[in-house]
Amino acid sequence: MQAMYKISLGLASGLALFYAFQGFYPDFMSFFSNAFPPFIAGAAVVSSSFALQKYGRNLRERFSLVWLSFTLGMALWFLGEVCWAVYTLLLGVEIPYPSIADVFWLSGYVPMFIALFLYVKTFGSVLSRRMVGTAMVIVFVLSVLVSATLITPIVGAEEDLVTMFADFAYPLLDLALLSAAILGLAVFSKGSLGKSWLLINAGIMSDVVADILFSYTTAQETYYNGHPLELLFHWGYILFLLAFYVHTKEL
Amino acid sequence: MSRVENRLRQALLEAVDTGLQQILGDSGRKATFFHLQRMYSLTREDIPNNPAVFASGLEKIFGVGASVIEESIVKNLYSKLGINYEKKKGARFVDYLQDIIGRK
Repeated sequence: MQAMYKISLGLASGLALFYAFQGFYPDFMSFFSNAFPPFIAGAAVVSSSFALQKYGRNLRERFSLVWLSFTLGMALWFLGEVCWAVYTLLLGVEIPYPSIADVFWLSGYVPMFIALFLYVKTFGSVLSRRMVGTAMVIVFVLSVLVSATLITPIVGAEEDLVTMFADFAYPLLDLALLSAAILGLAVFSKGSLGKSWLLINAGIMSDVVADILFSYTTAQETYYNGHPLELLFHWGYILFLLAFYVHTKEL
Repeated sequence: MSRVENRLRQALLEAVDTGLQQILGDSGRKATFFHLQRMYSLTREDIPNNPAVFASGLEKIFGVGASVIEESIVKNLYSKLGINYEKKKGARFVDYLQDIIGRK
């Protein structure tokens, strides 16, 4: 398992360096920005599929459904990345926003939330009202902060209603995932499965920040292919990939 | 081993199987046994002799979530032995087992 941690850390650091020095290879960076996400998202699908293969023998069991939902969620996010790559690399057109890729990304939140919710619900009886209350307060405060951060630039950008919906939807849906994931971390933090839940929480947090920055920069029209915020999306997939892998090693 | 001890041992093993399966499914149950054996050299058949090690192993894997699995096992065990289950504040897996042994 140590080897997998090292590979992930190496990949995350390598990506950071690659983005930091993009001034030396701007054309390749633009290509990389569109071509790399399907690979890292695909790797996360493979990792969750291994977990599904291990735990998902009988889909009438709740625990199997959890892993089917994780895999389905990751697969939908992967399809979102593939759509983005097809638009930009194969069709060579500027991708509309929102696009079919957003349909896949946004739909992916449903199974992801179901997976987290079912998992936490199974062990929910150990959660005290105080734990649930604390988690809700954290998510509520973050939701207010996210909305406050985005409302001025998005409304000021005079975008159409669908675009504004997408701008707010991503970070808020991330926070919905976080609300369940925090509770999972509270349940398992003292056990070896806590490592996997910590990684899931870190992956979601990475996506929260990435989606806020993406919504902000698209509203300000300052987003470009190869923008450093993409690193957070890549790290998010790496963290999910690692979380699923660690789960299969710890249970 | 007396007949009563043998019956209790068999009921506990079945309750462990059912309890784990209800929470984690069959694959999760097998995975739990695999990890208990790897970490504590505790096989399924050893559980009646080392219930404290079993409970400690569950806690090492599931954290406070272990008590959900323990409760599921205890409920199944009480049901198999025809005893009414009542949740006792602060009681853990081993306490319930001792309660059963005390009744027999």
